[in-house]
Amino acid sequence: MARMIAQRLLAFLPVLLLVLLIVFALSRLIPGDPATTLLGPGATADQIAALRAQLRLDEPPLSQFFSYLWGVLQGDLGRSLKSGAAVTQELLERLPATLELAISATLVALVIGIPIGVLSAIRANTPLDHGVRIVSLAGVSMPAFLLAVLLQLVFGIWLGWLPISGRNSPYFLGDPVTGFAVLDGFLTGDPEAAWDAARHLVLPVMVLAAFLAATLARFVRNAMLEAMAEDYIRTARSKGLPERSVIFIHGLRNALLPALTVLGIKFAELLGGAILTETVFAWPGVGRYMFDAIRNRDYPVVQGATLVFALLFMLVSLGVDLLHAALDPRIRRRVGQ
Amino acid sequence: MREAARFLRRNPLAAFGAALLAAILLAVLLGPLVAPSPIALDMSRRLAPPSAEQLLGADFFGRDVLSRVLSGGRATLAIGVGVVALAFVAGTAFGLLSGYLGGWADMAMMRFVDAMLSFPSLVLAIALAAALGPSLTNAMLAVAIALAPQFARLARAQALSISVLPYVEAAIACGSTTRAILWRHVLPNGIGPLLVQASLAVGSAILQTASLGFLGLGAQPPAPEWGADVSANLQYLRETPWAALAPGGAILLTVLAFNLIGDALGDWFNPRRRTQES
Repeated sequence: MARMIAQRLLAFLPVLLLVLLIVFALSRLIPGDPATTLLGPGATADQIAALRAQLRLDEPPLSQFFSYLWGVLQGDLGRSLKSGAAVTQELLERLPATLELAISATLVALVIGIPIGVLSAIRANTPLDHGVRIVSLAGVSMPAFLLAVLLQLVFGIWLGWLPISGRNSPYFLGDPVTGFAVLDGFLTGDPEAAWDAARHLVLPVMVLAAFLAATLARFVRNAMLEAMAEDYIRTARSKGLPERSVIFIHGLRNALLPALTVLGIKFAELLGGAILTETVFAWPGVGRYMFDAIRNRDYPVVQGATLVFALLFMLVSLGVDLLHAALDPRIRRRVGQ
Repeated sequence: MREAARFLRRNPLAAFGAALLAAILLAVLLGPLVAPSPIALDMSRRLAPPSAEQLLGADFFGRDVLSRVLSGGRATLAIGVGVVALAFVAGTAFGLLSGYLGGWADMAMMRFVDAMLSFPSLVLAIALAAALGPSLTNAMLAVAIALAPQFARLARAQALSISVLPYVEAAIACGSTTRAILWRHVLPNGIGPLLVQASLAVGSAILQTASLGFLGLGAQPPAPEWGADVSANLQYLRETPWAALAPGGAILLTVLAFNLIGDALGDWFNPRRRTQES
């Protein structure tokens, strides 16, 4: 197992290096002289010269990349053009908000998506199954920002049940402990703050969970149908096992592994969706920070946020990969040889 | 053609998707010919609710929402198809070449594709569009670049399995050039799954371009585009929800139509599913 982890990590490195190269190259795609373009028409010659120095535009391209790489290794992602603060610091402050959203949405999607998928597979080709198929296709066809706006309108504006922006109400601004607002509420012995944070979390999580649950339900259904056609299911049935244990122990368990893989792949779309969702709900995470940076032409921040999203996705993919290997005896054995 | 008819008969959902798509196409092609101008301002009708003359009401500038949805649809559909065509050509060429060359070149090219695929594609598209500067052309380019690696990987797999077949060896023995072999033998024989992938990608291309528009990185005002129109009308959501919801709903219906067709096509070409059915 340790050898396999080492192998995967080793394969990860060249890709990581290329990812960094792409993120670096992004800023060189800015048309004209990047420093002049970013600062806009009002900039003085001194300001432009300072930014050229910060972006290291006067060095040869390869040495520019190595300086960038060296900076990243030391945790330096440059400074925001707008606030002048270190991008790394600002990203780290906002990361927990995005993670809170992403983790909650994944959990909700698992709890909703898997049972619906199983039900749909057991009742394959019935009206229920067709209904699930249509709803799940609508779920993946729905632009995240449209669902966000709809939920704001219905639950926030018309019904007035839930808050439609921000992460907590202004009177609940305690010091962050973990950075996860709901958890912090409990940790600081303030259940009201936790409740307030949870209420803020509901709508954005629904937006992200909806599409993920839709994808997962559809996928679990198909994986279940394939698993249920296997020989070991026939064996289990002929042993006289009750249908319930055939479905859950032999069918679902084998369908869950591929579902895990899909969850890993779809995490990318979850992160993309987080940018839109955070923008609509004024959620103070990395996505909203990226959106504000785009409006301010604050490219070092856009670059930093892009890198954070890519790293998150890479880590999740790697985690899914390792988990998959740990759970699937066939891969475990193949690697052991 | 007969195959297509059989496909639609066996897949009522795909037939529904095709009908929906046909209706949308007809509406956005013919609609703007009869509807009022999508950019004509009429301050007296500012935020007017839906009525008999204006089925979807008017936006903050008194522009007819239905007109904007219909004209915006032309842009959106052209974008979806154009972006996928661009991603298809670039990705397929890259992947075929990589798979056919093999060895070190293949390895380096595929690591690059892996790196591109390590970015959530919407994030990469946003970063590219933000660098290139906000415009519809740049947004399309950004989404196409973000989608191309998927085609590259699939095309490479096709090229790998096809380039060892006897007819390719025969072509090599006859002294055909690499380009001729890729163009005449590898591409035509491996194009099926790539086309299915393309049909599935149109939906996400439209979603992503609309998302860029929503973030202000796509079409610039006053040009009508669905994503941008949703965000432009968010401020007035309380007073005139229709102005934001109508273009959003149009995106949903269009992407749904493409997904209904693509989903059924994917099933249709899945060999395992096919044998189960027959």
